[in-house]
Amino acid sequence: MRFNSLAFRLFTTAAAWTLLVLPIAGFIIYGLYRDDVQASFDGQLQKLVNAITVDSMGSAQGPPSPPANLYEPLFEVTHSGWYWQITPVDEPNARKLVSASLATASLPSPTAKNVAPDPSGARWMDAKGPAGEPLRLVEVIDTLGHEPDKPRYSIIVAGPADWLDHLVANFRYRLTTALALAGIGLVAVTLFQVRFGLLPLRQIEGGLAAIRSGAKTTLEGELPAEIEPLQSELNALIHSNQQIVDRARTQVGNLAHALKTPLAVILNEARGDKTGLGSKVAEQAQIMGSSITRYLDRARMATRTGVAGGVTPVAAVIEPLVRTLARIHQEKKVEIAVVCPPDARFQGERQDLEEMLGNLLDNACKWARRKVVLNVDVSPETTRTRRGKRLSITVADDGPGLTDEQRARIGKRGLRLDETKPGSGLGLSIVMDLAQSYRGSCELARSPNGGLAVHLELPAA
Amino acid sequence: MRVLVVEDDKDLNRQLVGALADAGYAVDSASDGEEGYFLGDTEPYDIVILDIGLPKMDGISILEQWRRSDRKMPVIILTARDRWSDKVAGMDAGADDYLAKPFHMEELLARVRAQMRRASGHASSEIECGPLRLDTKSARVTCDGQQIKLTSHEYRLLAYLMHHNGRVVSRTELVEHLYEQDFDRDSNTIEVFIGRLRKKIPVDLIETVRGLGYRLSEKPGQA
Repeated sequence: MRFNSLAFRLFTTAAAWTLLVLPIAGFIIYGLYRDDVQASFDGQLQKLVNAITVDSMGSAQGPPSPPANLYEPLFEVTHSGWYWQITPVDEPNARKLVSASLATASLPSPTAKNVAPDPSGARWMDAKGPAGEPLRLVEVIDTLGHEPDKPRYSIIVAGPADWLDHLVANFRYRLTTALALAGIGLVAVTLFQVRFGLLPLRQIEGGLAAIRSGAKTTLEGELPAEIEPLQSELNALIHSNQQIVDRARTQVGNLAHALKTPLAVILNEARGDKTGLGSKVAEQAQIMGSSITRYLDRARMATRTGVAGGVTPVAAVIEPLVRTLARIHQEKKVEIAVVCPPDARFQGERQDLEEMLGNLLDNACKWARRKVVLNVDVSPETTRTRRGKRLSITVADDGPGLTDEQRARIGKRGLRLDETKPGSGLGLSIVMDLAQSYRGSCELARSPNGGLAVHLELPAA
Repeated sequence: MRVLVVEDDKDLNRQLVGALADAGYAVDSASDGEEGYFLGDTEPYDIVILDIGLPKMDGISILEQWRRSDRKMPVIILTARDRWSDKVAGMDAGADDYLAKPFHMEELLARVRAQMRRASGHASSEIECGPLRLDTKSARVTCDGQQIKLTSHEYRLLAYLMHHNGRVVSRTELVEHLYEQDFDRDSNTIEVFIGRLRKKIPVDLIETVRGLGYRLSEKPGQA
């Protein structure tokens, strides 16, 4: 997932929201639960203190009696954490009553610590018990028989606060685990949702790659309603682009036809005329012819666009060319030996490869004594030069070849070293222009059997 | 040797006809596809110069139809369309050579000669028959090194016989291959020209095969 991608945006926003909301929800749930548990514990203590107060202080005569009912069995178990204590407030020396669980210890009084009473008159406090355990205690001040003029007593009931803490901690642990699992689940679902939701875009990506590599000519597949218009627009664009290229090609061809025939007429007429004017016209018409060929080729190259480049199987181009050249050079009985891997494919237009190979093979056939060798090789991708697969094509003949100096000059436009061999002399420079337009190269060398060897390097698909 | 030129540009057509006639061929011409197809289909031409872009019927279709109906004369395509795909299409349709415009007339004539030679099975541009020697390039005939001056009709007749030496050639065949379509075809004129040739050539190589025609043989026959 790249930083600047739709998937990244969707995923990070969804994940951030999840990670923000889940802890907040956790805090709220935890707080509510803790308050609830505390309230219910306090309610139990309140009930106990009320019951003990009513039980012990019911009679207005005499000192308070130990409660007749046990209420809580743990009041009998020493240091159980459940305690009660009834102490006189006004007479410090009077006897105090305590639960068996308290033994010789006593409970601290919230009144003594200046704890304010709640609306019902009960005072709440957290304290340490006789065994050092945390306690929650509640104190109620009441008079004997609830009569206002009788002596006041403090009634304290305590329960183990650690039990409460255990309960809350246990809940917190389970809540955290559950929320964490939910978070992980949500993030995973988000990831899946993003991937699944953006699947059609991946499909488009793949489709475009297929178009670029030439495997397909249109963007195919059933795409969702939202991007379906994009697909049809893109296909229309590719189609119209192809049409424009085709039309330009046709126009160029028509222009060639329209210009070359009159030019042939002028040339023939001028050559027949033996005056100075005739030779001048012939010379100039020849230059015009070269220019037309050159710029028509240029124009044709310019119509090639990078949007939907073709892929051309090399062997399928070589076969008809060799067949045609064998016929054209039938008299010479030149043998054309071809070595071409069947899977060699050229990343470019068929016509351009045809022009390059046709011109090279035709030249080689004109000059060869008996044999022309065409060798095609595909070199793998090189990471060092960051280039894709390359086609390496060599056309070599066993003819007279060229000197180093001739080889250096021959690439120049329109140059012909030998006027006795037919041809317009543009063949090789067109090959060089075409190779260059594909960011390839065309080099001349001496072939092992004496003639000229032309090395072409082109992008492979 | 009869040549058909199918070319719609009338200036180029005229130039081609002129150059070929000057080179000693009997030339017919057509300026549209239908006419060209019809002529090639009905007349026995020795070679056809065919343009591709023609009104009414294009050159490739013409050529394909000729080849389908077994018309085997050599065809040189002469066209402005010089892409290799066009050349492949032309050669696959049955053409024997391909020349792109603009062209040198000498080059066209050289290719016409080459096709003629190929069709009659001769390897070089010079054809020999006993002491007779025909240079198709310069249209000259020599006998034992001595040049023989011939009129264009005489040259055509002798060249045809030399291209097909050793074979009996009928008068009808000679008439069909030596004269333009609208020439007054009288087979008696052939006899007249044969007579003239026999006078000009020191050794008698032209043999009359009774009821069949003429044969050029390497050894002088009994006159």
